[in-house]
Amino acid sequence: MRTVPWVCRSCLLRISRTLTRRNVRYQSSSSTPESVPSALLARARSIAAEHRQLNEKLANGFDARAAKQLGQYGPVITALNEWQSASESMTELTSLIHDPTTDPELLALASDDLETTRSHLADASHSLISALVPVHPFAHLPCLIEIRPGAGGSEAAIFAGDLLRMYQSFCNRNNLRVTLLKYENADGTAEAGAPLSEAIIEVDSAGAYGVFRCEAGVHRVQRVPATETKGRTHTSAASVLVLPSIQDNASGEENIDDPDSDYYVDLKEVKVEIMRAGGAGGQHVNKTESAVRLTHIPTNITVSMQDSRSQPKNKEKAWQLLRSRLAQTRREKREEEAVAIRRSVVGVAKMGRGDKIRTYNWNQQRVTDHRSGMTVHGLDDVMGGGQTLDTVMESVRSWLMEKDVEALIAEEEGGTRR
Amino acid sequence: MPRIPTSLLRQARKLDALLPPLLAPCRDLGAAQNELRWLREHVDKVASTRGHREQDTLLRNFVQQRASGKPLQYILGTEYFGPVEIRCRPGVLIPRQDTAASVTHVAQLIGRAQSLPSELRVLDLCTGTGCIPLLFDDVFTSTRRDVPLRCLGVDISEKAIELAGHNVMRVQREKKDTTTSTIELVRADVLVDPFAEQAIDVPSLKAALNMYRLPPFWDMLISNPPYVSPSAYWKTTTSSVRHFEPRIALVPPAGKGQDDTQQGDAFYQRLITVARDVEARVVLLEVADVDQAVRVARMAKDMQMFDGIEIWRDEPDQCSDQEPTEQDGFAIVGRGNGRSVLCWRERGGLWLGKTPAWESDADRLSETYRSMPRLTSKYSF
Ligand SMILES: C[S@@+](CC[C@H](N)C(=O)[O-])C[C@H]1O[C@@H](n2cnc3c(N)ncnc32)[C@H](O)[C@@H]1O
Repeated sequence: MRTVPWVCRSCLLRISRTLTRRNVRYQSSSSTPESVPSALLARARSIAAEHRQLNEKLANGFDARAAKQLGQYGPVITALNEWQSASESMTELTSLIHDPTTDPELLALASDDLETTRSHLADASHSLISALVPVHPFAHLPCLIEIRPGAGGSEAAIFAGDLLRMYQSFCNRNNLRVTLLKYENADGTAEAGAPLSEAIIEVDSAGAYGVFRCEAGVHRVQRVPATETKGRTHTSAASVLVLPSIQDNASGEENIDDPDSDYYVDLKEVKVEIMRAGGAGGQHVNKTESAVRLTHIPTNITVSMQDSRSQPKNKEKAWQLLRSRLAQTRREKREEEAVAIRRSVVGVAKMGRGDKIRTYNWNQQRVTDHRSGMTVHGLDDVMGGGQTLDTVMESVRSWLMEKDVEALIAEEEGGTRR
Repeated sequence: MPRIPTSLLRQARKLDALLPPLLAPCRDLGAAQNELRWLREHVDKVASTRGHREQDTLLRNFVQQRASGKPLQYILGTEYFGPVEIRCRPGVLIPRQDTAASVTHVAQLIGRAQSLPSELRVLDLCTGTGCIPLLFDDVFTSTRRDVPLRCLGVDISEKAIELAGHNVMRVQREKKDTTTSTIELVRADVLVDPFAEQAIDVPSLKAALNMYRLPPFWDMLISNPPYVSPSAYWKTTTSSVRHFEPRIALVPPAGKGQDDTQQGDAFYQRLITVARDVEARVVLLEVADVDQAVRVARMAKDMQMFDGIEIWRDEPDQCSDQEPTEQDGFAIVGRGNGRSVLCWRERGGLWLGKTPAWESDADRLSETYRSMPRLTSKYSF
């Protein structure tokens, strides 16, 4: 299997425009509007060559595998052809303009044409890049967001609650369906503003994972806590975990019945414990126990659910959560190896649960994302899940995309492609 | 009942002033927190239009009722039986999770059967809230759209039949017109021998089937009858059960010359006889524990009509990690307390995935009966 980072294609298309305009700011080494990194271009050309060979093979008789491969290459070939014709017109126009023998009338025409051709080429470049960069296999899925306080005592717990409301408002504003799966306060009630000990929300809209996966990691807060009497600024943190959420009837990589899927869980490896009334049970007692606990024996991962009065509902949610957590662990393990190799090449920081990714500073009313390097000043708007949060998140996605492209190039240059 | 430690009370008070009173019925903090949350949600739902003060009063009132031992299910008015929400009212027994586990399991097994009758008929004796037919329908029809289900719930209690009717209508209305199942209810006394003298107000089961022109033959018989003996009633049931749930649902009536154990077992001989008369192929009877299960299994064996009998614990679908796994020649499967006795015969074994295929003449004969036209009303009270 190829080990490349994943990118959400729909985000990527939106981002590629930002990327090119802001490339100075992000000090990108790649992708100026008209250019496709040479390594990527080389790759596209080798795909085109393979495409021709496959075509010949098919001409000599049907081969199902070849046909499938051919279909997969289709978008790359189209994008490459368009890029080629755009860049040829570009070359032609520039040489006309630079040629001192070109007559004035033609020169005027060529100059007129230059702008449209340039933007044409920019579009073609974006299409080609996005056809080559693989899409994250789970980007199209809904997701689960788990929020827990980190270091910093009750202030961390209050901040965790702030983050929860931030994401909820963000979802509401963007018409993403969001439900609270689990909400536990340090004091066991569900009142807002109380310190949070754990919250899990489900964003049940397609593509949510692609939108939120860049939120995973440690979020740091710097402010004077409400409880602080001496006016000192504290630094605390909350951690956010983002998991793709799969439905029972899913297909492909997230098919839970497919042993090769990350989401596959061998039923025999899971201990199911349901809270029973205890004692004689049956007609003798009328307790309201509905808690369910699942333990995945090989990894010792446990999840428990008790929010609903319905035991089957708790069980269903617990399974969903267990599958998502297991899949995440598996994927991380697999990607860790890939990251180790890549890091030595391009120095891509791993985005995982351990890394500090963003700082929210109340005194300066600013938010800084440590990956994209972007700083914004509308703290209130960020915490309210507003447009400013969009901007920050988008900067991370485009950073991520850039890293992906770099990694891909590094891989090409390293000649790791089969 | 042991006192609640002061440290726990203090801890609870620190979290929420309403928690300490809930510790008495719940015993542990986690359960009390859950109940408080559900009570809050309930107040939010039933009094959403009222002011904050009024809601608060209502919540305090609920907490107080609960602290006095009133079952949460009677306060909230519902209980989940498997995934099905069932209405509960004082005077009718609250459905138990343990019952739901056995019913779910048997419905799943039957749902996997290769071939089933063109209509599957399930008789539920002592139906209470009607929870068993409703859950069976829910589980079975989620896997089998091809076989229409016909259930009949029977209970002696007028309150129970009324509540069950309400539950059936509510659940089926939610399912709109997508359901092909019929659930009927009749009031009848399961215990009286149809040939003995009849009480005037409640007919015997046989009389009721005749009277409402209901089919005389049923594929399955399920029952969670009263099975608590008088001494176990005092020793084993919790005070909330004794003070708030109907005794008639728990303790069988006293009979002449019966000892304590025999009184607790009073329904089973009758239920097995009904199973024979209606030609049930699969019989599932809930019991109090392994000892009662073995006694019931023996009764069933003595009828010499079943091909197999086994005992299920609370979670029949879980691997057995408990001794004994067999007693008196009956296999004991699953985890938890002894909870039910499963008997099968003829094609019933096939439906449960038990025996190799064979067809008896009796099976074919009853198929002819089935195809005769019948007259029924949807709800017969
Ligand atoms: C233990 S409850 C079971 C209720 C329900 N099936 C459940 O699982 O929740 C027993 C039921 O049997 C009913 N019952 C008691 N004596 C009966 C009799 N002689 N004939 C029919 N039903 C009877 C009671 O009214 C009660 O609803």
